Amino acid sequence: MGSTKVKVDHVSAYYGKNRAISDVSVEFEDRKVSAIIGPSGCGKSTLIRCLNRMHETLPRTRIEGRILLDGEDILELDPVHVRRRIGMVFQKPNPFVTMSIYDNVSVALRFNGRHSRDEIDRAVVRSLQQAALWEEVKDRVDAPALSLSGGQQQRLCIARALAAEPEVLLMDEPCSALDPIATTKIESLVNELKNTYTVIIVTHNMQQAARVADNTAFLYLGKLIEVGPTEDLFERPKERLTEQYITGRFG
Amino acid sequence: MNEEPPMKPEEPRGADTEIRRLKERALEMGQWALRMVHDGWKAFRIGNLKEAQKVLDGDTELDRFDEQIEHEIISFLVLKQPTAVDLRTAAALLKITTHLDRIGRLGFDMARITTPDVGQEGSELATLLDSMDEIAESIVQQALDAMLEGQASLAMGLFVRDDEVDRMHRQATRLVVRELIRDPMSALHLSNQLLVARHFERIADNACKIGEKTIYAVTGQRRSEYLPRHPYTPYILEPGRPK
Amino acid sequence: MTVLAGLCALVALIPLASVVFQAATLGGPVLSISFLTQNPPLPCTPQPGIPCATGGVGSAIQGTLILVGLATAISVPVGLGAAIYAVEFRSRFLGLAISFTADVLTGVPSIIAGVFIYAYFVIYDPSIVFSTITGALALSVIMIPIVTRTCEEALRTVPHAVREAALALGISRWRTTLQIVVTTALPAIVTGILLSVMRASGEAAPLLFTAFGSRLGFQGFNNPINALPLLIYNFAESPYHNWIDLAWGAALILIILILITSVISRLVVQRMVHRMQGG
Repeated sequence: MGSTKVKVDHVSAYYGKNRAISDVSVEFEDRKVSAIIGPSGCGKSTLIRCLNRMHETLPRTRIEGRILLDGEDILELDPVHVRRRIGMVFQKPNPFVTMSIYDNVSVALRFNGRHSRDEIDRAVVRSLQQAALWEEVKDRVDAPALSLSGGQQQRLCIARALAAEPEVLLMDEPCSALDPIATTKIESLVNELKNTYTVIIVTHNMQQAARVADNTAFLYLGKLIEVGPTEDLFERPKERLTEQYITGRFG
Repeated sequence: MNEEPPMKPEEPRGADTEIRRLKERALEMGQWALRMVHDGWKAFRIGNLKEAQKVLDGDTELDRFDEQIEHEIISFLVLKQPTAVDLRTAAALLKITTHLDRIGRLGFDMARITTPDVGQEGSELATLLDSMDEIAESIVQQALDAMLEGQASLAMGLFVRDDEVDRMHRQATRLVVRELIRDPMSALHLSNQLLVARHFERIADNACKIGEKTIYAVTGQRRSEYLPRHPYTPYILEPGRPK
Repeated sequence: MTVLAGLCALVALIPLASVVFQAATLGGPVLSISFLTQNPPLPCTPQPGIPCATGGVGSAIQGTLILVGLATAISVPVGLGAAIYAVEFRSRFLGLAISFTADVLTGVPSIIAGVFIYAYFVIYDPSIVFSTITGALALSVIMIPIVTRTCEEALRTVPHAVREAALALGISRWRTTLQIVVTTALPAIVTGILLSVMRASGEAAPLLFTAFGSRLGFQGFNNPINALPLLIYNFAESPYHNWIDLAWGAALILIILILITSVISRLVVQRMVHRMQGG
């Protein structure tokens, strides 16, 4: 078991009076891919959005507990700084429609701090390479973002998130809106990314979790039921509820 | 978005029907293998070549079972992508069919070494072999029942019964040695009988392995997690000194 | 059913068509370069042998441009700012108040706008009651609610995903709103602004008590100024033929100006959208 990058410590999150996650404690390993699975409404999206403090951008939301990044409680830090260290890719690709590919990827650099044109150029190329998109767009980085296909747009969003050089990359069902080929590309991408970043991915597709994740956590009705190495969880789950869910016997 | 309505209790869930079907297929093969053991031993016992031939013809059926069940399990794996207990059960069944094939083959072998004009005899060895057959068949049946119903505790009970068969095998060996000294002319028949005793021991052993796989399917535990290392020692027998 | 709908559409077009037709036929003959550049002449009744000076509506055109320009310069920052506040803080009282008030004020009769400014300055600074400033302010009263409401709509239709994407990159909330959300909503914002411009250009009532009108061009911010709608209002009722002719010409010019603005607005927005979607 490697070192812990993100530790969720007795966290509960609320939408108004509604408690979406209850007293969840889980650790995410550094430079590994961790998947969060569970049925609809189990709180997995809420949990991941707490990790980069996006949860509180919605009205009347509240978080209890601590979330530690390398031992520091991110709930005590400036959310803007937290989000520069913990990046996110969303379910539906959401590139900035008014910007070109180049501008999209360089957004984080242009808005956060001063960087020379050279630095930005290099960062854009590097990020697009890391997102396995460079070869496909290197001749048209000034083309509008919307000229890309859905799968390419999602990889663009990944490049955009990576350009900010985060330590952790959160992915909220990144492949749900994509076709199988695009999904495969992104899954192999995730496999590469874990060499540099800690990846936490929410997925409703268990086979995807089995394919990409080193560790998997199972959430149900806002509670953490079980967490462990993916093969163990899928071959020999410890909890009855976990087994019922992954074998499709829920009812 | 609305939540999926909960499943009704009587609806088959997950891979239940497929798993049941696969187990029943394995049971069919097991029963065929048992028949081969029973008929093979009977043919050897009474020295009836016709009976022996019937058993020998049955091996194609055994092969067919093996191949078909393997195919069905592979289909299940690729199409349903099972996990947890379903996955373990499918993997267990793959191995179980191999063991069933061996059991059937051991019966086949008994038929193969059938020699005529041996006749029924009431020797101590013959009686012992009769009991070995009874117990071995019963152990295999228990293993099959445990597999079908997924009863790990029933499977656990197999190991001690296997020890019993081991004991009987050692006893048979001693008897053969004694008889050989007394009546060297019947060496061929005696060595065949020794072989048969060995076969019964192997049959019981394979049944135990089936039990292990059943326990793995149900609990996920592998043998080393629940059984101490079996202390094996070589047989040490002194000729002419029956114990 | 299609025939019926088509007939209704034709009927709806009749007023527009007849207005344009009338303006074109009665105002067309008056158009010329001098018409556009010279100031209105003195009132005159044609005497035999002494033609009336034709003059032009130069000062009115100039005045309209200045007044509307000034009003836009006031309305856009105020309106856009209010819209941004209303959208960012939609749950706070002030945000809700802005939204509601803008809605109500778009329906305020334009003469009230004029009277309001007039009354205020009568009390506050009577010397500039009739001036360019007050005229621009009166037009602003009309324009600000329109700008606010259309910008609010425009900002609201920006999908939440855009905002989320920016926030998740560690861009601060205000920079997200100002530099990303506003940019995304720009086509709709521009449309809204041009809409308010077109509306203000055609208003005469607010200017009656404020800009007041004059035959001369721009005389300074503190002095009265002419405008096309004002000229039309004043000259059309007069008994002087040269003035009446000028009024028709001015009407045609006003229609043309508004038409041009509308076309430009469409073209600009189309180009913006086209560029976003990547040719």
